[in-house]
Amino acid sequence: MAISQRALEATGLPRAPGRVARLREWWEQEHVFGYGLIVPALVLLTCLVAYPFGMAIYFSLSDYWVGSPGPFVGLANFREILGNDVFRQTVQNSFVFTSIALTLKTVLGVWLAVLLARDVRFKRLLRGAVLLPWVIPTALSTLGWWWMFDSLYSVINWTAIRLGLMSAPGPNWLGQSHYAMAAVIVVNTWRGLPFFAITVLAGLMSIPREFYEAAEVDGATSRQRFWHVTLPLLKPVLAVVVLFSTIFTFSDFNIVQVLTRGGPVNTTHLFATLAYQIGLQGGNLGQGAAISLFLFPMLALVVFLQLRYIRKE
Amino acid sequence: MNGTTRRQFLKTSAVTSTGLATWLALDHAPVLAQKRELTFLSWNHFVPAADDELRRQAEVFGKQANCAVRVDTMAHLQMPAKVAAEAQSQAGHDMYRSAGADPFLYEQLHVNLDDVVDKLGKQYGGWYPFAAEMNLTKSGWKGVPWFWVSFPGTYNQAHFKKAGFENPPKTWDELLRMGKVLKKQGNPVGIPISHCSDAHSTYWSVSWSFGAKVLEADGKTPAIHSDKTAQVLEWYKELYLEAMEPEVLSWDDAGNNRFILSGKGSWIHNPVSPYNAALKEKMPIADDINHHNSPAGPAGAHSAPPILGIAVWKFSKNVELAKEFIQFLFRKENYDAWIVASNAFNHPPVRHLSDHPIWARNPKFAMLPKEAEFGHPRGWPAKPSDAVQRIDDNYVMADMVAKVVNGMPPKRAMEWAHDQVARAIKGQLKVG
Repeated sequence: MAISQRALEATGLPRAPGRVARLREWWEQEHVFGYGLIVPALVLLTCLVAYPFGMAIYFSLSDYWVGSPGPFVGLANFREILGNDVFRQTVQNSFVFTSIALTLKTVLGVWLAVLLARDVRFKRLLRGAVLLPWVIPTALSTLGWWWMFDSLYSVINWTAIRLGLMSAPGPNWLGQSHYAMAAVIVVNTWRGLPFFAITVLAGLMSIPREFYEAAEVDGATSRQRFWHVTLPLLKPVLAVVVLFSTIFTFSDFNIVQVLTRGGPVNTTHLFATLAYQIGLQGGNLGQGAAISLFLFPMLALVVFLQLRYIRKE
Repeated sequence: MNGTTRRQFLKTSAVTSTGLATWLALDHAPVLAQKRELTFLSWNHFVPAADDELRRQAEVFGKQANCAVRVDTMAHLQMPAKVAAEAQSQAGHDMYRSAGADPFLYEQLHVNLDDVVDKLGKQYGGWYPFAAEMNLTKSGWKGVPWFWVSFPGTYNQAHFKKAGFENPPKTWDELLRMGKVLKKQGNPVGIPISHCSDAHSTYWSVSWSFGAKVLEADGKTPAIHSDKTAQVLEWYKELYLEAMEPEVLSWDDAGNNRFILSGKGSWIHNPVSPYNAALKEKMPIADDINHHNSPAGPAGAHSAPPILGIAVWKFSKNVELAKEFIQFLFRKENYDAWIVASNAFNHPPVRHLSDHPIWARNPKFAMLPKEAEFGHPRGWPAKPSDAVQRIDDNYVMADMVAKVVNGMPPKRAMEWAHDQVARAIKGQLKVG
């Protein structure tokens, strides 16, 4: 700027006077302009993330009811939920649900991505179609699954019985605890798989072909190529996807709410559904917030460790 | 900016913002645009024609009162969250369809409706006590009882006849006895033991009939751990094993409707909605479906009918208009038309509107008004409270029963339920 100023003076032209010029000069300074670009994102984050998060912490530490603020109670809400058998069951459910669903999504996701990476006919169409479960609103697609798991009209049972794979009437998908857990895991996996597959596919595309060619020249089998070339190079992408998915899976709500509402006997409750039941239906916002915040320290640790790992890589 | 100079633009925007600021400061629209709008949040009625009739009446009222009335409806399971959000943000509809312990949960946020309740009560021969109790808080009437829904036995006459039973069960034990035969015939009976509100409607009814309670009358002492409850649990277990099928563990509120309409089920405990649905869809099974009063037990017959009210938020700017609208809905001609639209689903909470011919005329409905004689709000003999609401919302009794039918000894299940009930009481709302 200083140079252009001097140049102007040298030409003898009058300096651009007035506020606009000064404002522009101010705006074009690197630190102002840089922060200026960040501000919209910052405002959004503050309003939509930081504020609700702060409120949730405030709720969880007070005896807060819908529409009626209560006194500060310290960790009483956390003590109360920890003493509750239903909450302990929910913690267990969440870990079972997340670990199984995540493993399935990772293994199947990588598999699907490898298949999609091949040159086949209708490649674009196939890749688009794979995204469908991810694109359809969850509440809607889960209703479809709910109907497939219905005790009376289950198309799954009907087909399996006709094929002789099951004896009538077949499993009661949403009424028995293990089946119900299996059902919500299946739907979560079905829904989350495209996210894995497409992201991993993007990672696959970025692996230079030369590595494979070199491996082939060295006589590596396709399995060896996968384990020693594909997988190590996919690791950073996989780490990010797993990180995101862990958070999404732990905080799932729609699928359980539509399929089982936490039943049978609370064996499919997750943090979000239990928090909804206690905080919104029962009006006890304090406890509801405590339930939904319970995992925060642990998830924060997972995020920290994973991000550190990714950075190292 | 074509054709507009900067000066003009600034001038226009200054005028506009001043106008907007004045509007916001005055908190109402300028006179030109002002037409009052009354907003009412209700549920998606199980008989959709009732909502059409409600909207028609709202329009008529709007014309008379020179205002617009907007009726929004949503799924009943989503209502609690929406109502909680309106309570929390102090913004939303002027009035809403309250259910359960809403008047107690939001006691401080609802307008006192003593005057409306008093007037309507006098006009129509008094309110049914169970409907009144759901809305009468320590600080007055925080809702006008709007309607209640009878919860009779719904059965398939053809299946019963085939099994050799001329009449439906009069007692829960009789249901058990008949159910065993009916299940062998391929037509089990069905009571949901799952996370749905019907599961609790039936549980309250059965447990009261056996003389069991969940809370003492003081509302502060758990009373679920008792010999009477143990009897209820044994009854449920036997019914589950010998007269029902495991599908009852997965039902939502429409599960039993589908069960009886599929032709497989022989008996359910439910409002008349399956019958109405069969009529509407012209299903042949409508001829076979009939109703009978909720069965009795050693301690008599008791029922926990869903009781719905209308509440007005204190933050509403149209409180008087809302009160007028409520009274308009209760005009005999309007209320009658609404009963007809719901095909006898909506029962009036006031005595003199209850003699509508729709019940007497149809032998399948004739017994329904009688249910009012033994209806109680949930939690009875305790008064409705947020603790009762929480026990219901957390499906404590449905889970207790589910544990027992899955093999847990009743004593342990009752201990678990006792702990849950005690927690619900301990977390009691401290206002009001």
